[in-house]
This record gives sequence, structure tokens and C-alpha cells, in this order.
Amino acid sequence: MQIPSPSPSGPFDPYPPSEPNAAAGGANELYPPSDLPPKPPADAAPRKLHPLVEMRVDRSAFEELERRAERNGPWDDWALYQLSLEAEQANLVTDFHALRCLSLLPRFEPMPHQIDTARRVLHEMRGRAILADEVGLGKTIEAGLVLKEYLIRGLVKKALVLVPASLVLQWVRELNGKFDIPAVAQRKAYSWDNDIVVASMDTAKREPHRRTLLDGEYDLIIVDEAHKLKNKRTGNYQFINELRKKYCLLLTATPVQNDMSELYNLITLLKPGQLGGEGDFAANFVADRRRPKNEDQLQEALGQVMIRNRRSDGGVEFTKRLVTNVPLRLSPDEMALYEGVTDYVRKHAYGENGDMASMLSLVTLQREVCSSRDAVFLTLINLFKKTTEDSPLRARIWELVELIKRIKANTKAEKTMELVRDIGDKTIVFTEYRATQEYLLKFFKEHGLTAVPYRGGMNRGKKDWMMDLFRNRAQVMIATEAGGEGINLQFCHHVVNFDLPWNPMRVEQRIGRVHRLGQTEDVRIFNLCTLGTIEEHIVHLLHEKINMFELVIGELDEIISQFEKSESIERRLAQFVLETEDGEELRKKIDGLGDSLLETKSRLHRESRP
Amino acid sequence: MNAKQIHKFVVSYLESKECHLIEKSPSSVTVKLSPDADRALSGRPYYWSFVDRTGTPPETMTYRWSFEQPDASGPTNASPVSYVMTESGRVIQEDVYFGSRRLLQLFDVVQQAGRCATLFEEPPRGRLDPLRSEPYTAWLGANLRVGFECDMKKEELYCWGISLATGVIDEKFMDKLRYRKMTPRLPSNVHLLKNGLSLRRGMNQLETHLERKLKSADFGWAVEAEARRQDELERIRLYYEPMLETMTHPDQREQRETLAARFRQRQSEIDWQYRPRVSVTVVNCGIFHLPGID
Repeated sequence: MQIPSPSPSGPFDPYPPSEPNAAAGGANELYPPSDLPPKPPADAAPRKLHPLVEMRVDRSAFEELERRAERNGPWDDWALYQLSLEAEQANLVTDFHALRCLSLLPRFEPMPHQIDTARRVLHEMRGRAILADEVGLGKTIEAGLVLKEYLIRGLVKKALVLVPASLVLQWVRELNGKFDIPAVAQRKAYSWDNDIVVASMDTAKREPHRRTLLDGEYDLIIVDEAHKLKNKRTGNYQFINELRKKYCLLLTATPVQNDMSELYNLITLLKPGQLGGEGDFAANFVADRRRPKNEDQLQEALGQVMIRNRRSDGGVEFTKRLVTNVPLRLSPDEMALYEGVTDYVRKHAYGENGDMASMLSLVTLQREVCSSRDAVFLTLINLFKKTTEDSPLRARIWELVELIKRIKANTKAEKTMELVRDIGDKTIVFTEYRATQEYLLKFFKEHGLTAVPYRGGMNRGKKDWMMDLFRNRAQVMIATEAGGEGINLQFCHHVVNFDLPWNPMRVEQRIGRVHRLGQTEDVRIFNLCTLGTIEEHIVHLLHEKINMFELVIGELDEIISQFEKSESIERRLAQFVLETEDGEELRKKIDGLGDSLLETKSRLHRESRP
Repeated sequence: MNAKQIHKFVVSYLESKECHLIEKSPSSVTVKLSPDADRALSGRPYYWSFVDRTGTPPETMTYRWSFEQPDASGPTNASPVSYVMTESGRVIQEDVYFGSRRLLQLFDVVQQAGRCATLFEEPPRGRLDPLRSEPYTAWLGANLRVGFECDMKKEELYCWGISLATGVIDEKFMDKLRYRKMTPRLPSNVHLLKNGLSLRRGMNQLETHLERKLKSADFGWAVEAEARRQDELERIRLYYEPMLETMTHPDQREQRETLAARFRQRQSEIDWQYRPRVSVTVVNCGIFHLPGID
């Protein structure tokens, strides 16, 4: 085949004038077939630009041009051709350093410390970092910023986010809503094919998923609640260690829980050798299990891979929490029920042959009686159903039901009503019990107050709808669930604890719905506290003793996780209820619990102040 | 891209796809998509395969796209999409801002739909002698994106063209075309001169030219990245090698293998993360027939 001369001044033959109407493609013969021998592969041998740098060319668009030229088209539109270039120019990343993602996120404004953290991860830690901010400072946001920046720069295409199952949807929503990142929740095996997948760690590490993931490659892996990787003999640790990854972010609020070696393991997972070999680490940095030595050097080595923002660093202003206890006296009928139930619980605590399940339902009864008669009623009926026909318990239970029937008014509901009227603003009322929630909805409605319910069992759509209604239509939301998925109610700053969970973390979660970054008002918290009941002791414990309502966000986490190593507070309280004979003894025991909590708190304070 | 540029971009796309613009204001457009645009944008593959199989006349979607920057103080979890019912049907409302999904999708769509072109410059009307034929020569125009990459990345864009008649390279080729009127049809009274270069040779010369240009660029970033890479490699060597050395007992062979494999994996990850490289991508390219010979 004759190949035209390539020389720039090569000859050209005048081509005869074409038919005026010849279609665009009619000029096919003008482009001689490609030079022979056959064309080199798309990614031709890389060329050296510099002793360290090779250049590779992706010619696929050009090859398509050749193919279309051979077949006379079809050709793309000129306007689209230009738009395509315009899109390219708009997306072009013209320098190494700027945080481009900031201009792409008009929906929200990250806080300065979050931007700063993202910058350090990108430029100093080179995409491998432990984000160890204290709770409430927005580790998710920081990770989102880093992911977004890498996506924009084309440095990350495939990313995997591994989180506890309960946080999967929340992550997906944050990434979608705040960052416009098309992340999907892993549901089926084929979900893994998506570029950005959020999955639960427990699913991911199980076969067959495990194999799929280990066979893949990830430009970025994000692990939330990474303190679950502290033990290097666990499946979690091995799994993350084995995954092929370029960048990696580990998120945890508690990089050290028990032991210095946890920190070592976490960092070794991220960057083996950063703290030397295991022996070096122990010799150089560990004084005893919980105490480091050579702290300056350790801090320096840590500072290269870990960022820990603290609330005390300033810059992050939380509004105040103002707590009011609302003492109230039960009506004689209600008090009779309370005493009846308490009596029942004590009498039967050990009559049940130590059967834990039924003991727990006794404790539940004790707690419910502080909430509403409706809540007790349901549990009593269930207890009743479980007894045999001739059980002597049946009579006792009926007596209690009789007591319930006598109650005509709910003192707490009336008080709440009064509170809400006084507040005259958006208020969220928390209760532990569905039955109480139903009762309150009905009670408020009868008194001309619109309230919307919110509970864990609702699906996402309904939850969003309820939040919308609360925001736009209703003054009051009555919620049974506080934890788990992101309900963010910063537009509301009044919280009523109709009853209190015995687990302080759940109390904190309730308040955290409202008192969080973005809340511009001081948050007012009202604790209903029925005098002469166990509730009074619990409020005393949480409020007066450890002053939990006014602890800085996250501090409670640490105290509780230290304190609960052996047994949870909730369980201890249950134990007390079952074991004690009278109110005075109970009060003393709860007081004792408060003292040891207090001790943990001050110990943590000492330790965190170097 | 600011709101105005986005507005212009979106309208240009819609017009090129012959969509029906119902309303157009400085801050928004309401548009009933053409079937073509609907296929590309509405994300309804099942609907369209139904239309294709049954021959039903398609019902395309109507959008109202607002170009104002969304309010940062607004609810961040609320969905950016909503719709209103009007007499003519459902209108889906969306914010289209720089970074929004819709705009990213549009970028994607135009990059797919504006990849390869063949065009002719329209000769000015009336000035030419109707009996004379104007000679045109062909250019290969290519827009090249260059990525300088290690653990960080930056990009440059080159919009070059090479005359297939003479081999002359124009580094401002797209600028040259910007104000010319281009048409996909061969205009009358025009004849095309024979090419001296094949397309492939033209492309090769563009690449060689680019290579020469890039060689003279600053490679400080690559030297630094390489230093980081060596650093990291050294760090893991100090971690793994002593461990491997102690595993000499025959019983530890398997364990040693595993550890050695992990060591190699870490090395390749570090390479992946840090090794400096330059990648060139042809964004789009086309054959442009222009009057005269350069």
C-alpha cells in the first residue's frame, strides 16, 4: 500500500471539487488507512520523560475517530464537542494542593478544624491517617472531605467504607446529601460492583464477600469505629490488613481504650514500621500498659499518622446545656400503683428461680411504673399471660390492674403539657415506652396540641416525613428512639425527658439529637422526676452526682466505657432493684454507684492532663 | 464554574439536543426533554426499552433546573429534588450547581456525546465567486489532558491541532476555531486537498510534540514523590525484614511465606501510592476541514 509522505512540506494533490451535497463522511478516502504494520496497542510502550517518570497515553478517543473515519461516521455534534471541552476545563485540577472540594460543596460549610484536618491528611499524611477526633467534632465530615477531594482529582475511583451495621445508612445519607458522592449501601453481592460502597464490617469480612473484596483493589478504604481493629489477632484486623488499598482512613474516638499496644496495632495496620517493630515500640514508648514514656518522641511519631482534635482546643463552640429537674408528686392513686408494683417486684425477684428473663421483666415493670400506667399495663398483661391458670400470681397481678383502673389522670402528662405550653417553642419529648408515647399523643391531641411520633421501627421515609412535619407543622415531637440513625433536630432546642433510661449513653444520645454542631441556641433540658420513686434516685445519680447533662460532649463516652468494663450501669441498677429491701437501702446503693462513677471521672481528668 | 456559566452550559446542551425550553430565566430553566436527552439524563432504561419494544410514543420528563447556589444554612439532609404538579404534568425541580449530581451527569453525557467529530468551516456567504472552488485542508484536532500524578495530582489541558497537509502544529487550535462557523456538511464550492499525513501519523506527531514539551517541564514534584516512596519502602523494610530473619525454623515456613507475601503487598501499595507518573488522555478529537493551507 502506498503511504503518503509524512514530511511537513510533503506534496499534495489538488482534489477535484466534490459534489456540493456530498455528506460529511463522503470524504472517506481522504484519510489513508493507518500506517502499516498494524497499529500498536492502545497503551503503547511508555515513554520516559524523566529518569523517574514515564508517560502513558490513553488514545481510545483517537482510535474511535479512526474507526469512525473508516466507516464514514457517525459524527458527534460540534456544540457537544465544545461542551465536552468546557466540561473538561471546568473539572481540570490545575494544582497539587488546593482543596478543590470546598468549591463543590455549597450545601454546607465545614468547620475550620475539619478543613484543616482534610488538608493535613491529603498533604502531610498522604492519604493514610487515623482520624481520632473526640466525639462530636465531625470525623465523618473530615473523611468525606478527603474522599471528595480524591474523587475530584481522579486519584480515587473505587472506595470502600466499612462501618458498624447500624451506621451504614447514615453514612450513605451523609455522603449523598452533604457531599454529592454517589455512595451505595451494600445489600446484595452485586452491590460490590459499585464504585463507592458503604458496607457493614461484619458482612464484608464474611464469605463470600470477603473473597470478593480481597480479590479487588481499593483506592481508598475508610473504617469507622476503628477501635474494633485494636487486636491484631481478630478477623477484623486480619481482613483490613489483607485488603489491597492505596489510601486508608481509620476513624475512632478512642484510639487507646485499655492498652498502649492497641494504638501500636492500629498504626501498624495503617503504616507498618511507623512505630518500629513490636519490640522497639515496647522498649521505646511503653512505661506500663496505660502509660507511655518518651512522650515527645511518641507524639511526633503519632503526629505523622494521627490527628486528634479536642473540644478543648477551642474553635468549636457548643452552646450551653441548661438542665432543670421538674419534681412532681404522684397522685395518691398513682403512688398506690407505684408501691404496689415495687412491692410485687421485690417479692417476686427471687421467687422466679433466678430465671433472668422474668427477672428482667420485673425490672422493666419497675421502670415503667415511673413512666405511665399504660406502659405498666401492657407488661402486666404479658406477665399474666405467662402464668399458669392456677398460679397465685394471677390474683396479685389483677390487684395491680385494679390499681391501674383507679388512676384517672396522669400527673406527668399534665405537667409535660404545662411545660410545653410555657416553652411555646419546638419541643421534643422522649420516653422509653411505646405505650407512653401513644398515650401522650392522644393526651396532647385531646388538649389541642399537635404532636408527631418518632420511633425506631419506622422506615426511613416515614422518619424523614415525621421530621419534616415536626419542622414545619407541629410544636411537639414524641420520640421513643434517640440513637442510631441520624435524626438531626438542630432547629429545636428544648428537650423533655418524660422518663429516663438507665443507660447514661442513651440519655446522652437523646440530648445529642439536639445539642450538636449547628445548634445555635442554648439547649434546655427538663427532667421529669417523680418524688419518692426510683426515678428520683436516677435523676439524682445522673444529674447531681456525675452532672452528666453538663459534661462536655464525648466526655461521658470515656467515663462510661472505662466504668463499664465489668458490667453495665443499667445492669447494676437492675441488680440493686432486685436485691434491696427498701427505698433507703436502694438510695444508698445508687449513691455508691455514683461515687465510683465520680472517681472514674476524676481519674480520667487527671490522665488527660499531662 | 459560576451559576451563569452553568446556565449557559446547560442551555447549550438542551438546545443541541432539541429539547423544548418552556421557561427560561436568569436563574432557572424549565425544559421538556427531547427523547434523546431523556434517554441520557432521566435514568429510565426500563421505560425506554419498553418504548423501544412496543413502539409507544414516548412521554419525556420535564425538569425545572435552578442555578442559584443552594443555601448553606438550609437543611443538609433534605433531598435536593422535589416536584410540582402543573397543568402539563409533573415538573421535577432540582438545584444544578457546580458539584451537583445533575451537572456531573451532564458533564459525563457531553463527554460521551462529544468525542469524535468531522467538521467543515462554512465559507462566508456571497463573497466567493460561484464558479470558483475554495481549497480546504484537513486538520486533526485533539484535546489532550495531561495528569501529573503521584500520591497527589494535577492536570493540564492542551488543545492542539496538526495540519494533515503540512504537519504544522497549532497549539491554540481550539481558540482558532472558536469564532468560526462550523458545519457537518461539506459546503458547496469547496474542494478538499489530499492529505500528506495519515490520521495516525498526525496523532503520533502530536504525541511526540507533547512529549518534547513535557520533558522540559519541572519535575521537582516527581523527585519529591520518589523520595517519599523510598522513605516508605525503607520504613516497611525495617519492619518486615527483622521479622522474616527470625523465622528460620522449618516449622515457620508457612508463616514466613505469609509474612513475605504481606511485605510484597505493602511494597506494591507504596508503589501504587507514590510512584510519579504522567498520563495523557485524549479527551476528544476530530477532523476539521479549514480553508487554505497552513
